[in-house]
This record gives sequence, structure tokens and C-alpha cells, in this order.
Amino acid sequence: MSDLKLTNIVKAFGKTQVLRDINLTIRSGEFVSLLGASGCGKTTLLRIVAGLETVSAGKVEIDGVDVTDLSPEKRDIAMMFQSYALLPHMTVRENVRFPLRMRKQGTREEQYECVNAALEAVQLSHLADRMPRQLSGGQQQRVALARAIVSNPKVLLLDEPLSNLDARLREDMQVELIEIHRRIGLTTLFVTHDQDEALSLSDRVVLMNGGVIEQEAPPREIYETPATAYASSFLGAANLIPATVSDGVARLADGQTIAVPAGSPKGSVTLVLRQENVEIAEGGELTANVVTRVYLGSRNRYILELACQRISVVAPASLTFEPGMEVRLRVGADRVRILPG
Amino acid sequence: MVRAVPTWLRIAAWCFVLLTGLLLLAPLVVVVGVSVSESQFIVFPPQGFSLRWYEKALSTPAFLDAFWLSLGLATLVTATATVIGGAAAIGLSRGRQGSQLETFFLSPLVLPSIIFAIGLLMLWSTLFGTTSFYVLWLAHTVIALPYVIRTTLAVLAERDPYVNEAARTMGAGRLQRLLLVTLPQCIPGLAAGAFFAFNISFDEAVLSLFLRNPNLTTLPVQIYGQLEFSPDPTVAAVSTVMIMITLVLMVLLERLMGLNRFASG
Repeated sequence: MSDLKLTNIVKAFGKTQVLRDINLTIRSGEFVSLLGASGCGKTTLLRIVAGLETVSAGKVEIDGVDVTDLSPEKRDIAMMFQSYALLPHMTVRENVRFPLRMRKQGTREEQYECVNAALEAVQLSHLADRMPRQLSGGQQQRVALARAIVSNPKVLLLDEPLSNLDARLREDMQVELIEIHRRIGLTTLFVTHDQDEALSLSDRVVLMNGGVIEQEAPPREIYETPATAYASSFLGAANLIPATVSDGVARLADGQTIAVPAGSPKGSVTLVLRQENVEIAEGGELTANVVTRVYLGSRNRYILELACQRISVVAPASLTFEPGMEVRLRVGADRVRILPG
Repeated sequence: MVRAVPTWLRIAAWCFVLLTGLLLLAPLVVVVGVSVSESQFIVFPPQGFSLRWYEKALSTPAFLDAFWLSLGLATLVTATATVIGGAAAIGLSRGRQGSQLETFFLSPLVLPSIIFAIGLLMLWSTLFGTTSFYVLWLAHTVIALPYVIRTTLAVLAERDPYVNEAARTMGAGRLQRLLLVTLPQCIPGLAAGAFFAFNISFDEAVLSLFLRNPNLTTLPVQIYGQLEFSPDPTVAAVSTVMIMITLVLMVLLERLMGLNRFASG
């Protein structure tokens, strides 16, 4: 069990700055997600921790030891790749033993005992003698996970390991990851572009954008009180509406007003309206026009035009509105978040 | 919508396939047929059945010597071409300017072998005098190399590029990655390349003809000489043996590796 500390990490490929001054500390046993759109630098940061990428400036410390200039094979980490990267010519058992064999951990017998335990943890003991190509994607993925945890590394790095699985399997695997992490408590850094994965798996979510950390907070906090417009739009489908605040009301571009909580910023602001926080109801304080209806089974998603802008709202399937209709929206002052600028 | 292929085109395509097969197989049938003929002369269709030409081939020292020379040469060429070609392919797959170097390494495929033969003969005579086994070994290795490089590169291109990085994160050093990760992944390509190398050398005539001397006659050159000066069905018998050796090798490789994966390269 070890902590990981990144100090002033900068990375440039030629003239392109991919990471600008990243500072991040991960406590021992913590599960942290790096969340962001593709190209935000999250994978580069993970590869820097692994040692597969060098830094342009900055320091990587594991357990207080500076490993910035150490090659990956000497770092005592484990990494799980998006493609799983199993050794195609070795059986499942030998794949899982590989890190123990390379690091000369224990005798042969002890190594095989560890392998058996790791395979049991991912429920694959019965496939130990198969070759990787004989396994399904989900099974290969679990082999990769067993291989990553078998050597009890100081830091476990996961690079979008769930993105090649179908939706159903991905959910099962999320549960499995949570349970395995709870049981063995490895310090874990998880890269994903999927906000649901980040929110459901981690102790802390680090949202990255354009090579900097946009916000870092526990899942619930980052979802409910996003600090920036980018965080609001990335986490949950939020509608961002420009407005002007004065005398406790926000005035939209078309002159409609809604009440805002006391102590909100004044002047020109951005209203953040989560689609689940907006209700289509008689007597609501805002008026909007229905543009498109998307049927989702239990619910309908409506694209509405509000103050010359498109917003997205979810309503129960029992309520049906046709394009062109005018509807009222109820928001409630306590459910609006207001960001300056 | 997929439109049906017109009947006439389908018939034409089948005719084309049949013709190709015929052109590939007919010469083999003729050779095998002549080799079991009773006739003194090379005539087709064969007259009668006899194995006397095989007997004669086996009791002719010139053929036996040539056979052992060719077999030894092909074996050595296979070994050297596989080692050098495999190393070159691993290096090329890693390098950044791979494609230019690759063209250079594959150039023996395009360079007419007669030009290579003349050049090598002149160079060797100037430096070392009369030709020897070593110059044949060298010459055959050069022309066999591109095949090993091609097949190994094909296998290397197919692999998951992250496997090597994964091995690093698991603590494997440079030598361990080469021996335990890269080489095992190359084996199918190396095996296919070795098969090609053996056949190229065993079958090669142009270089062997230019570089021969009275003590250095390979089997193809011996067959050619025999055919020119005293043609009888012995050459057909020897050729049939060569066909058999190739067939056996093909079956072996197919059993072990699945040849068709590499023929397409």
C-alpha cells in the first residue's frame, strides 16, 4: 500500500503542450479516476506514472521515493491496457505468473499459489490452461485484471479497461472492480472518458480538460456542485444558459426571469440546469417550445427552445407533448446553480 | 443491393481458374509421368511402368553428390537466412525509418539474379580466386533473406503493439522482452520464412550455374547439364524427388503453423 504524488508535471510533444503543471496526490489505497474527453491528457498522465512516457518537467513519487527517471520495469506498478495486451503465446496461468516471474517474487510454488488466488479472485480458475485467443473479450479482460493484481503492485494503473466490453458486461465488470478494490485496497489510478464509470467506481474524480485539472472532488460532490461550466456540461447532461442576475432574479436573453438563491453572483452569469432538475409542469415559471421528442421507453426526452437556445429535459412517458407546443417549465430556485461569467 | 454476376462472366471466371490450375499442375504431371516410364527417351505420355530411372539416379554418383551438396547448402542457408532475416525484421519493425531500410533489405527480390550472379562472381574472383562452397552459401543467403524478412514482418505487424509495453510494466527487461515476448511471437513468421529460404536455395539455378566449378555442382545445375547433354528419364526421377521433398516440407509446415496465413503475407 503506497501513495502516489505528482508534482508540477509538464509534458510537451514537440510544440504541443499536453499536460500543463499537474499536481495530484493519491492516498494509499485510494481509487482515483482521471476523467476527460479524448485528447485531454489523461492517458498521457497515466503513461507518465507507468514510466512509459517521460516528463518534460515535474516529479513522480511513489511512497515518497522519486521514480521520475526510473524505467517502467523498475517501478513496481501494474497496468491494465485497453486492448488487455495478454501475451498471445502463453496460457492464462503463465500470463498471470509473468509479473511474478520477471520480478522474482517467491519460489515457483509460491508463484503458482499467488496465480491461483488471483485467478480465483476473478473467477477464472477453470480456464487457467487455455490460451488467450480461446477466451471471450470479457474473459481476456479478467485475465488482464488478475495479472495486474497478482504481484500486489504499489500502484495499479487502469487505462480504459472497460471500453471494449459491451454494456451488460461492463456493468458486471464495474461491480467486480469495486469488490476487488474493496478487498485488496490497491492504490488505483483509473483512466476513463465515461462519467458513469468514474462516478460509480472512484473515491475521487479528477476531471481533466486541455491538459489541466478542471476539478477534483468525490463523485457526489463533483456531480452535484460542479465548479465550472465545463464540469457542469461534462458530468450529467446539464443545460448552460447565459443570464443576467440582479435583485434576486436572473433575466434570460428573451426577458423571462426566474428566482435565484440568495447570495448568488451578480451580473452576467451562466445558469446550470440539470435535465433531471427541470420539470415540465403547469404553472412553471418559464415558457419554452417543444422542438423534438425522443422516446426512451420509461421516459421521453424533449429538446426545447428556451430563450433562443436548445435545452434538453426529461419527462415521464405518461406526459406527451408534440413538437410546436408551448410548455411551462418549473425549476425551483434551490435547484439552479449559478456560475459567474 | 448486390447485383448478380452474369452467367457468362461466371463461366469465364471458372475457365480462368481451371486454366491456371492446369498450367501449374500439368508440368508436374508430365515430370512424374516421365519418371516412371519404361522408355529410354523423355516422351509423354509415358510408356509402361518402371522404377528403373530412380534406381539409375540413386546409383549415379554425380546426382548423389549434387543432391547432398544441395541439401547441405539449403540447410545452412535456411539457418543463416532465418537468423539474419529474423533479426533484421525485429529491428525494422522497431525503427522509425523502417520503410526505406525495408526497401533496401527486400531489394534482392527485384534485382535480376543474373546481374547479382555476374557481380558476385567478378567480385569473388578478384578477392579470393576460384569459387567455393562459401560463395554459394553467401549468394543463396542473400536471395533468401527477403522472404524471411517479409514473413516475419507480417507477423510482427499483426501483433498487439501494447504487449511489449505491458511486459515492461510487469518488470521484463530488454533481453527478457526479446526472448520471452518478441521472439515467441515471431515463430510462425520465422518458420514460414525458413520454409521459403530452404526452397529458394534448393531450387536455385541461375546463381549456382554462374558460381559452379567442377567440384561444386548443385542438383538443379546437374539436372540442367544432364538434360542438355544426355537426356533420359533420370532427370525426371530426380525432379520428382525434389517435388516430394517440397511437398513433405509444405505438409509439415501446414501442420505446425498453417502456411496459408503467411502466403498472403
